[in-house]
Amino acid sequence: MRNAKPEMRVIFIIILLLFVAFLIAPLLVLFFRSFVTDDGGAGLSNYMASLSNSTLISAIGNSIKVSGVTAIITTALAFALAYAVNCTRICQPLKSAVKVGILIPMLIPTITYGFAIMYTFGNQGLLTKLFGRNLFEIYGFNGLLIGYVIYTLPAAFLLIHNSFKYIDKKFIIVSKLMGDRTLRSFLNTVVRPLLGALGGAFVLSFILSFTDFGIPASVGGTYDVVATQLYQAMLGSIPDFGQGAVIAVLMLFPAVAGVILLNYLERFNFHYDKFSETELTPGKFRDSFYGILSLVILLAMFSVFAVMFIAPFVTAFPYDLSFTWDHIMDVFGSNDLVSVYRNSLIVAVLTAFLGTIIAYGSALLNARTPIKGKQTVDIFSMITNTVPGMVLGLSYLLLFNDSSLKGTFIIIVLCNMMHYFTTPYLMAKNALTKMNPDWETSGELLGDNWIKTVYRVILPNSVSTVLEMCSYYFINAMVTISGVIFLVSAQTTVVASKINELQHFAKFNEIFVLSVLIFLTNLVVRAVCDIFQKRAAIYKK
Amino acid sequence: MLELQNISKQFDQKTVLENINLKINSGEIVSLLGPSGSGKTTLLNIILGLTGIDQGKVIFNDKDLSYVDMKNRGFNIVFQDYALFPHLNAYENIVYGLRNKKDTASAEEVREYIDFLELKPHLKKKIGELSGGQKQRVALARTLVTKPKLLLLDEPLSALDGVIKESIKERIKSIAKEFNLTTIIVTHDPEEALTISDKILIINQGNISQFGTPFEIINQPQNDFVKEFILRQLQIKRQNIFNLFGEKYA
Ligand SMILES: Nc1ncnc2c1ncn2[C@@H]1O[C@H](COP(=O)(O)OP(=O)(O)O)[C@@H](O)[C@H]1O
Ligand SMILES: [Mg+2]
Repeated sequence: MRNAKPEMRVIFIIILLLFVAFLIAPLLVLFFRSFVTDDGGAGLSNYMASLSNSTLISAIGNSIKVSGVTAIITTALAFALAYAVNCTRICQPLKSAVKVGILIPMLIPTITYGFAIMYTFGNQGLLTKLFGRNLFEIYGFNGLLIGYVIYTLPAAFLLIHNSFKYIDKKFIIVSKLMGDRTLRSFLNTVVRPLLGALGGAFVLSFILSFTDFGIPASVGGTYDVVATQLYQAMLGSIPDFGQGAVIAVLMLFPAVAGVILLNYLERFNFHYDKFSETELTPGKFRDSFYGILSLVILLAMFSVFAVMFIAPFVTAFPYDLSFTWDHIMDVFGSNDLVSVYRNSLIVAVLTAFLGTIIAYGSALLNARTPIKGKQTVDIFSMITNTVPGMVLGLSYLLLFNDSSLKGTFIIIVLCNMMHYFTTPYLMAKNALTKMNPDWETSGELLGDNWIKTVYRVILPNSVSTVLEMCSYYFINAMVTISGVIFLVSAQTTVVASKINELQHFAKFNEIFVLSVLIFLTNLVVRAVCDIFQKRAAIYKK
Repeated sequence: MLELQNISKQFDQKTVLENINLKINSGEIVSLLGPSGSGKTTLLNIILGLTGIDQGKVIFNDKDLSYVDMKNRGFNIVFQDYALFPHLNAYENIVYGLRNKKDTASAEEVREYIDFLELKPHLKKKIGELSGGQKQRVALARTLVTKPKLLLLDEPLSALDGVIKESIKERIKSIAKEFNLTTIIVTHDPEEALTISDKILIINQGNISQFGTPFEIINQPQNDFVKEFILRQLQIKRQNIFNLFGEKYA
């Protein structure tokens, strides 16, 4: 295509305006706000105040400590699981169980993890009863650690698992034939090519833990972390927007550093063009070891979530374990809770619909048009990848607090669209780049205008990707709390933020029922998406 | 008649085509022959209108098309990898363009093209189920249905193997004759070029090395490039075949 068509320009301008208004502008406002002093002047007083605030300093220290330990444990576990799936001959059903089971936490809000942990390890917890005593103090460091590990494990696993695909397993055999000892062979053929991915998993787990709000909100106790400090500063008893802005900027730092580090680590990844399926060498000890290990990890994870599915169905967990529908009926009988669930659905559907349009449109312009300045979309995608949900939500609060957007669904939807933009955008870009580059020209020569070719050819050939993008947006919009905590109003409360309120009234049954509802909804969306994708694949053949 | 006057093209300061002058008569088959990277596809895309020119003119039947949009030139192309739409079946691909301009070809004519290209048994198949030769014919049909004034083919044979190659070659020849269609074919294979076309344009590093009939190329090579790279290949091939069959069959 020689020149950009007018319709491409129109779409490009719309996308640019959206990003400027709902990503760049709010972040700039946040940045400037952090320098506005109490008397309205400009200065560093907010920073000074924050740096002399010992609670905040210790919260930063705590965050770094617990996120660091999380990152180490998560990376090790994720590696073990990925190794078990890719490099051992443990039975196929177990491999599938790992690949599917590990993703379950992604379907549940992080704030629920905390309550599940309390009900499992706490004073009245499932395991506590089983063992007859408290295993350890659950509020604070330990609880956070367990929650963060569960939360970051899926993402870390996926990252390492994907890199395993690029390891040529023939090397393992070659190394054996060369007479390498087990350890040396392992280091050279598995660990070395995976260094980039392992580093990536570490950094990713660290950032995710550092910026999550749901887990500390539930199980943090008096152990302060940055996310709870930020929440306190903005929505606590004495709101201090200046300090909030400073904490948000401070939270942004590790995220920026992390993303830079991730990009750098990317270089350590091996990229083989061709890799062949290779029979793995037998190893009885290896297989039993990794088989048991994966089983233990999975069971440990399930045992934490099990309580979520048990508690709502018994009269009074853990004292009276007789079955009852009462709690479920109560929730469905409560207008309040039903409307909260409905709000979540509205937000998730709108996010999925509008988000997919914007991400697909951006990817289309970037991957398949000659439009000038299309690289800006890549920059936006890098920014959305970097900015934590809480920081983005806070910037929206600062910029739109006095506008008519305040307290609407649309502001929550916009925040989600931006917050989760990167992954769907990259999915679409990847799929669109792989398609035949001459389709638009062919369409044009056959009498189409550009929009028509997109509608008649490009879109039908990326149905599967579009569904994937929709379900990604939907599920994340359903579970996110950090992105929306500053933006919900009484009318627009979503399930995740409602759970945060319910905990103050100790309404744990309601919390679990709502969480199960979110989980099941996400499961259904995932299943429907899979069915349509399968159908699209058959129809393509 | 297609006339190229003084065409030059640069990509990022790098000259890809230089001073190309050329006249092609109606109904002729012309091959663009040259090594990979010599600028053949670029020249084809310039004629098509997909790539803009820095200098020179593209004139068709006395009309200057240099700045006419690709869509309005009335030419059509079959791409090297066909660019068929995989979500549609063979028939839907062939009639794709008719949704936009219903009157370009009647149902009767579409049937004629399909019969001519022997595609009838394959119409319901998805693109993924077709063989290379079948894809090539579907792509040809899809293009012919738009009744192009000039048919452009980018490496139409390079993805096909042996026997199918020969049959598609014959098919292209007969299309050009049957519909009196001026056809330009890009190829890097001298044997292909010399056996399929009325005239051959040999390109080397963006410059015309020689333009002439197969007879002229073989008997009056104008420079070392034609001798070394074009004729030499053919001679080696001939030698190999001699060796296989023995001189007596030559
Ligand atoms: N869009 C482009 N941008 C920059 N360089 C190009 C572009 N298209 C082709 N080229 C360069 O122009 C030269 C000729 O390319 P091409 O016409 O495709 O050669 P051929 O078809 O003869 O193999 C090559 O060196 C190629 O790298
Ligand atoms: Mg070429």
